[in-house]
Amino acid sequence: MRSLASMPGIALVVDDEPHIRRALRNSLAPDFDRVLEAGTASEAVDLAAAQRPDVIVLDLALPDRPGQWVCAEIRKWSTVPIIVLSAQHAETEKIRLLDEGADDYVTKPFSPQELRARVRAHLRRARLSERPVDEAVVTAGDLAIDLAARTVRRGGESVHLTPTEWDLLRAFLRDAGKTLTHQQLFRAVWATSGGDPQQYLRVYVANLRRKLEPDAVRPRLIITEPGVGYRFETDG
Amino acid sequence: MVERRRSPWDPLPGLGLWLFASFACTLALWLLRDRLHQAHLALAYLLVVLGGSAREGRVVGLVMAVVCFLLFNFFLLQPLYSWTIEDPLDWWILVAFLITGTVAAQLLHRAQRAAALAEERAVEIQRLAREAEHVAALKEADRLKDALLATVSHDLRTPLTSIRATAAEIREDGHASAAIIEEEAERLNRLVTDLLDFSRIRAGALPVEAQLNTADDLIGAALDRVKGLVGVEERVDVRLPAEATLMVGRFDFVQSLRALVNLLENALVYSRPGSRVELELELDGDELVFAVRDRGPGVPEKELSRLFEPFHRGEDARSKPGTGLGLAIAQEVARAQGGSVVYRPRSGGGSVFELRLPAAEAPGLS
Repeated sequence: MRSLASMPGIALVVDDEPHIRRALRNSLAPDFDRVLEAGTASEAVDLAAAQRPDVIVLDLALPDRPGQWVCAEIRKWSTVPIIVLSAQHAETEKIRLLDEGADDYVTKPFSPQELRARVRAHLRRARLSERPVDEAVVTAGDLAIDLAARTVRRGGESVHLTPTEWDLLRAFLRDAGKTLTHQQLFRAVWATSGGDPQQYLRVYVANLRRKLEPDAVRPRLIITEPGVGYRFETDG
Repeated sequence: MVERRRSPWDPLPGLGLWLFASFACTLALWLLRDRLHQAHLALAYLLVVLGGSAREGRVVGLVMAVVCFLLFNFFLLQPLYSWTIEDPLDWWILVAFLITGTVAAQLLHRAQRAAALAEERAVEIQRLAREAEHVAALKEADRLKDALLATVSHDLRTPLTSIRATAAEIREDGHASAAIIEEEAERLNRLVTDLLDFSRIRAGALPVEAQLNTADDLIGAALDRVKGLVGVEERVDVRLPAEATLMVGRFDFVQSLRALVNLLENALVYSRPGSRVELELELDGDELVFAVRDRGPGVPEKELSRLFEPFHRGEDARSKPGTGLGLAIAQEVARAQGGSVVYRPRSGGGSVFELRLPAAEAPGLS
């Protein structure tokens, strides 16, 4: 993996529509040394194996094989951030993709600024992820979270979290910037202990927000991805 | 088709003609009386009775039976030109004639009625068959329309994605007016989304999954969506209940979000630029109420009955962007999960739209 100093790298965009590939290439070009293009699933997997891109933007509707296959193939040997382009109303599809290892999704028709921001966030996350999260003191807005010492300070004030809220926060921080499905979060927090029914996850998230966010109904840290899950934004 | 009901007195003008026929018949029979047997005479009169009955109906038939009975008796039975009858057999002939004439008139009438009824039924069956055909055609048209909408919606998104991305590129190259292309592409996209959603609702294919969700989360996601709407400025003041308890409901998050965003967007679009829109959360019995209040023009009395009608747009709305589907979609998705959307005028001017969703007990957590 590249160091933070040499930020630009290679992006791979996969879409069967040449116009969309061109638009994707143009919006990513300023942030990368090279932007590679693939129009089919098999081409995408070959290029990813040969060129080792730093990020992949993947459309799901490909002519030869489904985008899910590309995602699963690449995940066999790489943790490269994969951002999926998906249609609206495709919550189930998004969830399946995220569970299969995609990192995030952007809904068509996407705004290039949004796509660029997401891609940057994932690059940053990928490059930071070498540091074990438990040793890090994470700052986000006016929050300082020390996972090793299990303390959270908001504007200098100590915030009390319950054990489950701690586990949830740890799960969020481990994959900060990545969209986590309800199922992934539930597995991360309750997998070993059984515990509360899965649907309580949303109630825990609301409680955690009320403790961490200055305005719980305008969250900047724990972002809701409707019908899919949540994303923790350290840049919030 | 309205058919005037036949009165039994309608055939009276025809009666004159048949009376004339009976007199003519009597004259002919009288001239031939020496060569004819009484049974022949009775048969001739019976023909007149049946003729009158068939042409003009039962009343004329019965009248003709009596008239012919009297003419037969007066002009053709001995003694002639008197109402008296000498031969008891003549009595039998006359009574038999009267009974036959009457019964024949009645039977003919019934047969005619049965025929008319059969004809009416045949017409009705044809009409029903045509209607059934029409319904089948409508259903097929409806299915085709939904299929077409779904295909069009999907196929429109791909070029819209290119248009929007390319316009953004041009704008970033320093051509500010390309922002208009971006905005219009976004408007088209929302139009496509509305049409697709509505066709799904109509087809009963809207996925609804009621789960335990928090009101905080729904409000947060709705504000985030509104913030992302092109050409709409998020000017929403949120009012949560004073006590710190978390409000929880059992509803479909994605669909409820759609409904709440539509209500907030309407409030922001129809109220004065710069004026604030309120979103207040409260618990009313077993319902969570998300009340959206604006200081817009409100809904005129005459528009109220059509407020949630699809594609209906009030007079004030015609100058605003939109499809006329926002409220219809909000109402339908709320209903699909046991909730509703309610309108009432706001005191001091403006509108209040309430999204009401089933509340749930907040679980005690570890």
